[in-house]
Amino acid sequence: MSSESRSNLILGICFILFSLLLIFVWIPLDTDSGILERVRRQVTIGDALAPTLAGVFLLLGGIILVVAERNAADQPEIDTVNLGFVAMVIVMLAISVLVMRYAGPAAVALANIGRETPLEYRLLRDTAPWKYTGFFFGGTLMIAGLISMIEGRVTIKSILIAIAAVVAMIAVYDLPFDDLLLPPNGDV
Amino acid sequence: MSALEYIWSGVLAVFLGPELFSVLGVPIPVTLVMIFAGFLLGIAVGATPGLAGPIAMAISLPILISIFGYTPDALLPVMGFLIGVMKGATIGGAVPAILFNTPGTPDAYMTTLDGYPMTRNGQAKKALRVAHLSSVSGDTFSDIVLFVCAPFLALLVEGYLDLPEKTALLILSLSFIAAVVGGSPAKGLISTGLGLLVAFIATGEDFYPRLSLDSPALAQGFPLATAILGVLIVGAVFKELADMWREKRSSGAVSANHDSGEQGLHFSDVQRLFPYIGRSAVIGTAIGALPGIGSTLAATIGYTVGKARYQKRKSAEDPDFGKGAPEGIAATEAANSSVSGANLIPVLSLGIPGNAAAVFLILAADSIGGFNPGPSVFRFTTESVNPELVIAFGLFTAMFIANILNWTIGGVFMRSMGVMTRVPKQILLPIVLLLTLTAIYVQETRMDAIWFTLGFGVLGYLMRVVAMSPLPFVIAFILGGKLEESARQAFAATGGDPYFLFTHPIAALFMALSVGVIVFTARNSRAKATEART
Repeated sequence: MSSESRSNLILGICFILFSLLLIFVWIPLDTDSGILERVRRQVTIGDALAPTLAGVFLLLGGIILVVAERNAADQPEIDTVNLGFVAMVIVMLAISVLVMRYAGPAAVALANIGRETPLEYRLLRDTAPWKYTGFFFGGTLMIAGLISMIEGRVTIKSILIAIAAVVAMIAVYDLPFDDLLLPPNGDV
Repeated sequence: MSALEYIWSGVLAVFLGPELFSVLGVPIPVTLVMIFAGFLLGIAVGATPGLAGPIAMAISLPILISIFGYTPDALLPVMGFLIGVMKGATIGGAVPAILFNTPGTPDAYMTTLDGYPMTRNGQAKKALRVAHLSSVSGDTFSDIVLFVCAPFLALLVEGYLDLPEKTALLILSLSFIAAVVGGSPAKGLISTGLGLLVAFIATGEDFYPRLSLDSPALAQGFPLATAILGVLIVGAVFKELADMWREKRSSGAVSANHDSGEQGLHFSDVQRLFPYIGRSAVIGTAIGALPGIGSTLAATIGYTVGKARYQKRKSAEDPDFGKGAPEGIAATEAANSSVSGANLIPVLSLGIPGNAAAVFLILAADSIGGFNPGPSVFRFTTESVNPELVIAFGLFTAMFIANILNWTIGGVFMRSMGVMTRVPKQILLPIVLLLTLTAIYVQETRMDAIWFTLGFGVLGYLMRVVAMSPLPFVIAFILGGKLEESARQAFAATGGDPYFLFTHPIAALFMALSVGVIVFTARNSRAKATEART
């Protein structure tokens, strides 16, 4: 934190531009009704009014940031190395979610090799062990991957912890309730 | 029936209701057992990061209704269970906030500010004790006020707050939150603006879901849980992971928190904390009685008022608010816990909830039938019995029973949670993350919800990076829909008067206060910036 940082000024300018874009471009192009509408000779509030109010909040915030707080003493300094790490975390999470989504159907496709009557994941999504496949592999990858990223190495311990946590979550969410669906079984 | 007879009938409805089983010939009423079960479940889910009371309520409500059926007899057991969950989760919610810096609910966010630094200083158990004492004291105070004042306050709120006033009150609460939370009114306004914007995406009255960019994924809008848990929990997890990684890079090891120093809570501590608990309990109770404003605002105001008092009185060696002051936890927990009791006044008299838990009480009443939250609830008819009023006093009794459980089992449970500090954070945080994503999926059952949550997590992380509080975002997101709805109704009710916020005296006062609080804090921060420069 320092008063040397120009983060408030940059942030303020960004939000002033965003709010102007929101109020004058996005809202008019992406809402069906205006700020006030005349319907059957009665004036009513249109769908554009509320988002315009949000835009006004953003614009006011941006202006105050530029005018009153650009020299504030407690401005954060942005650590780009940290941002890079979080970007890697997000990539790891995205891969895990994709594994969660597609591991089940992929396992069924694998099991179908050489079968005369092919299985369909959609019909098996309430049948163990198929219904756990995606959550198990995706969840294990997510937990073990994140632990390994922090510790800087992949260990058997982190994989075992991830497996235990995922199995515990299956026990909590799936076993006692028939009507709850683990990811991704509500989509497929 | 006289007022006292109504109260007594409510108490008897709980204790002499249908019997579940008997112990040594003493019948055990089903409502009591349900309150107890709900309370235990509430503490468990509240203390589990990523879970929270509303999720437990959402999952259990259909199960309870299928067990008890759609008869008026089901009202007290089902709603008693939900009240048990609400009370248990309130104290349980402070546990992950204090131990892991991951608030399970928006209300617990302010608890992290001092609770987590205390944990880092080795004072986790003491922080939990402070949270428990404050939470239960605030809750009990609120329930007493509820019992005594409910009918009068219900009539008062209904009499003075019409639609224009309610709209102005919502604008005032948003402006206030923007101005006071986080120390920067500009960033508070931006955070509020973002929350409103996200709340307004794909909502509205037109056939086309506004601002959805023609995308089918956005056409349903953002579910409440994705925005709130994404910004508050996932964002905090990202920040913690990044901080841990940086720490590991610089020191070669990941630090762990160990208990050190005195963990007990002595009478002198209680004496020191009591003024903060008392003030916050009054603030929380007053806010809880206003419709549409929930415990998050109470926690924020309680914290701010407590901070102002603390700055004047603290000695040089005491930690500041936000650096591990027990008074900070006391001010927050007493305020947010004292909302739930008083909150039942607008819930029962107007049908407007102040927090997510109250939404489920309304939903339960609506699903079972025989109890319609609205003005008729507090009608003291003398010639005939008003069964809704008896149920209302039955619910108040359920709250008191849950409070007694809170004072006893709650404390023991929270103390036992201290053991969780030994779990290494680099292991726990990824598990919390998956638990949060799973909980959201179980509620929403679509992968889009997981992507939205991760997206809001990134937003929450970036907000923390630029020192912008995520709390105004969350409150604006929750209140956005209500604000638009009440503005539309007020506009229609005033015959299309575009100046309805300024032509009604109380509404005009609220609007003047809204502008005043922003101008005042902006001028203050400018003066501070100039001071820092010179």
